[in-house]
Amino acid sequence: MEALLIKVEKRNDVSPSIYFLTPILAIFLTLIGGAIIFYVLGFNPIEALKFFFVTPISDLYGLSELLVKATPLCLIAIGLSFCFKSNNWNIGAEGQLIFGGIVGGGVALLFYGHDGFYVLPIIILSGAIGGMIFALIPAILKTYFNTNEILVSLMLVYVAKLLLDYLVVGPWSNPEGFNFPETRQFSESARMPILFDGLRIHAGIFITLATVFLSWLILYKTYLGFQIKVSGLSLKTAKYAGYKGKTMIIIVFIISGACAGLAGVGEITGPIGQLHRNISPDYGFTAIIVAFLGRLNPVGIIFASLVVALTYLGAETAQIFLQVPKYTGQVFQGMILFFLLGSDYLLFFKIKFLGLRKNEL
Amino acid sequence: MNTKLIISKISKIYPGCIANDKVSLEFGSGKIYALLGENGAGKSTLVKILSGVVKPDEGEVFLNNENIKLNSPLDAKKNNIGMVFQHFNLFETLSVFENLSIDSSKKNEELRLQVNDILKKYNFKIDLDIPVLNLSAGQKQKVEIIRCLIRNPKVLIMDEPTSVLTEQETDDLFVSLKKFSQEGILIIYITHKLKEVLSLCDEVAVMRKGKVVSVSSTNEEKIESLANKMVGENLSTIKKKINNFKNSEEILKISNLNFISDDPYETNLINLNFSLKKGECLGIAGISGNGQSELFQILSGEIITESTSIMFRQKEISKLNPRERREYLMAFSPEDRISQAAVPELKIYENVALNNFKSSNFFEKGLVNEKKIKEHSKKILSNFSVNTDNVELKSQFLSGGNLQKLIIGRELITSPELLVCFNPTWGLDVGAINYIHETLININEQGKSSIVISTDNDELLRLSDRICVIYKGKLSKIMDASTVTPEKLGILMGGGSID
Repeated sequence: MEALLIKVEKRNDVSPSIYFLTPILAIFLTLIGGAIIFYVLGFNPIEALKFFFVTPISDLYGLSELLVKATPLCLIAIGLSFCFKSNNWNIGAEGQLIFGGIVGGGVALLFYGHDGFYVLPIIILSGAIGGMIFALIPAILKTYFNTNEILVSLMLVYVAKLLLDYLVVGPWSNPEGFNFPETRQFSESARMPILFDGLRIHAGIFITLATVFLSWLILYKTYLGFQIKVSGLSLKTAKYAGYKGKTMIIIVFIISGACAGLAGVGEITGPIGQLHRNISPDYGFTAIIVAFLGRLNPVGIIFASLVVALTYLGAETAQIFLQVPKYTGQVFQGMILFFLLGSDYLLFFKIKFLGLRKNEL
Repeated sequence: MNTKLIISKISKIYPGCIANDKVSLEFGSGKIYALLGENGAGKSTLVKILSGVVKPDEGEVFLNNENIKLNSPLDAKKNNIGMVFQHFNLFETLSVFENLSIDSSKKNEELRLQVNDILKKYNFKIDLDIPVLNLSAGQKQKVEIIRCLIRNPKVLIMDEPTSVLTEQETDDLFVSLKKFSQEGILIIYITHKLKEVLSLCDEVAVMRKGKVVSVSSTNEEKIESLANKMVGENLSTIKKKINNFKNSEEILKISNLNFISDDPYETNLINLNFSLKKGECLGIAGISGNGQSELFQILSGEIITESTSIMFRQKEISKLNPRERREYLMAFSPEDRISQAAVPELKIYENVALNNFKSSNFFEKGLVNEKKIKEHSKKILSNFSVNTDNVELKSQFLSGGNLQKLIIGRELITSPELLVCFNPTWGLDVGAINYIHETLININEQGKSSIVISTDNDELLRLSDRICVIYKGKLSKIMDASTVTPEKLGILMGGGSID
């Protein structure tokens, strides 16, 4: 019997600069992977990549679209970083986004026809609260009944989706809408202010930027942030230090739910302007990739959200110019995650080949 | 069978440290050799080289005048070198026999006959068909030894074999080892326990900083001479004064401590009651896994139980978490210093901030006061002679001894009334052990109390005023340390009783 002996060893000396450079390596590898895929499909790989990654942002409108897509991604990913840093695996940001959208949208419909500066803040706040409440479900089930938050939060995504479906088809559907599955268009007072005429970029970006700053402050300058960091590195130590584990789980879920809810309400009051079946192209799931690509670091997440937002735009351009399905975007997102996890593995472990050896036992 | 093993000029260099520096030794069968040294002296590296786990940078090994290449553990097995490591390599849920048959090429029937012969010959009493997890540590070690004996070893290397054994199990082991030696198996015994060297071995090689500093016959040596060779300096040890605590004030009273765990790997605690006086040190002995970890967590507040009453300085604190207990001037030093008492990835000052007591002002109004934490950390580093003054250093770069000094310092700098520590010197070198022991004796002299839970009896006899033993979750009666002998402790630790 012959066996190839492979040994995996942990590395102890990972330098911080390489830690933050590997995401860039992952993006580079994704580009190479993408080029190969396009080549196999019969396209000139350089041309195709240009259509994918350069054409979409070669004019002002494109840049604005990039920010429109990056705004929710960044916001959700920031929220998720609180959970992930403290070892809480909230996979259901998509559901929290939708539920935030539902609550915010409901309030917007309630204020239909109202004018007043107070309308939009109330809607935004109710969206955040909606996301929070929806994130509280897996948090409470985890703390008091020991359920697995990955499963619960993931399954709740479908609950939110079906609830939204029911509302826009049934009770909330537009009375003048010819039975289309959508609500009325919200009033002007319930819409995010547009920043530039003719572009879709809206005031939501300021909410995102403020959240990034606030998160940085909380994570690196407060006792709460310190507790999150310690819990993420060692739950045993957190227990020994006397941190209130249950309270912390609730807090990080509330923060991440609120962020997802804000993203949802930002979408429906921003570019969409009403509720319908597809208020999110899986931002809540894609944001998981953004969070890890950004190394759970607020600044890193800003850059990561721009890169991943580009895959959304590129997919649309590629669909128009190359007639490939827009799901190519998800292929690219998948590749980014794959290469990131792959290079992380090689970053933290080294693999030793001990050569072929005869087993004589 | 006449075996001769020669190690010639073996060197192994790791980045930043020379683990073995031109080590040359000769061994011949019929004798038991001790390899003695502090942690980090290079014993383990040498053993790993002999067992094929680590390749030397230079040097050769000769077995019966044949130059052998040990590139992998399989090569060691081929050359009949057997090895029993400190940590067992057994599958807990498989039966004893399954564990033995896994790496044997023999047919099951044949193997069973051979194993039964071995059991009979050495008077080992082990049921081959029960899962390994039901065995005591001593029995598990026997399984490892049988695993080596199956291969008819010429050389048997034992790495710190008694660290998990009771006094009686240790005696048993020594009887077996002497028998093996008479049968011509060459035995190399790795240890840092001096008494064992003198009672078991014929020759002793002392290692220090990667070099062999002395080879001698054990009847020429005494404990003091070996200790000085090992450490390379003359150790001064302070002795504890004998105190009478009859009139001292009672500081801690535990009553009705019960703990029933859902986890089959944890130990249930059954009706523990004890109290502690001001300035007193209570030692709790026992073989690991008899409930020490659960007891520590209940004392620290990591586990809260319903029935238990803990009165500390006349206040009921049994429902408080560790941080709240610290406010009442308790301090805790857990067994696992690497992954519980400190986080290796965090910097020294961040690890100091884990003990956030109210008057520290580490976190004012929820914000991190980095300056204050760093000042406080600097104070700990200098007061407790930690070998660095860089508070930004990640604690993973501290040696075990320095890390433990940092942790004990962090806990003691707040002048707590009670320190609970669990295996405070486990795995440390003699210098660090001495320092920690002096520190613990000092706090008692300042009128502060301590509870030391330890698996090291010498440590307990040195530190404690009163001693008891925990066995299967129950506490023995508490005895005055002056009346306790290692033999008495051994009997209690093995579940026996004394009057």
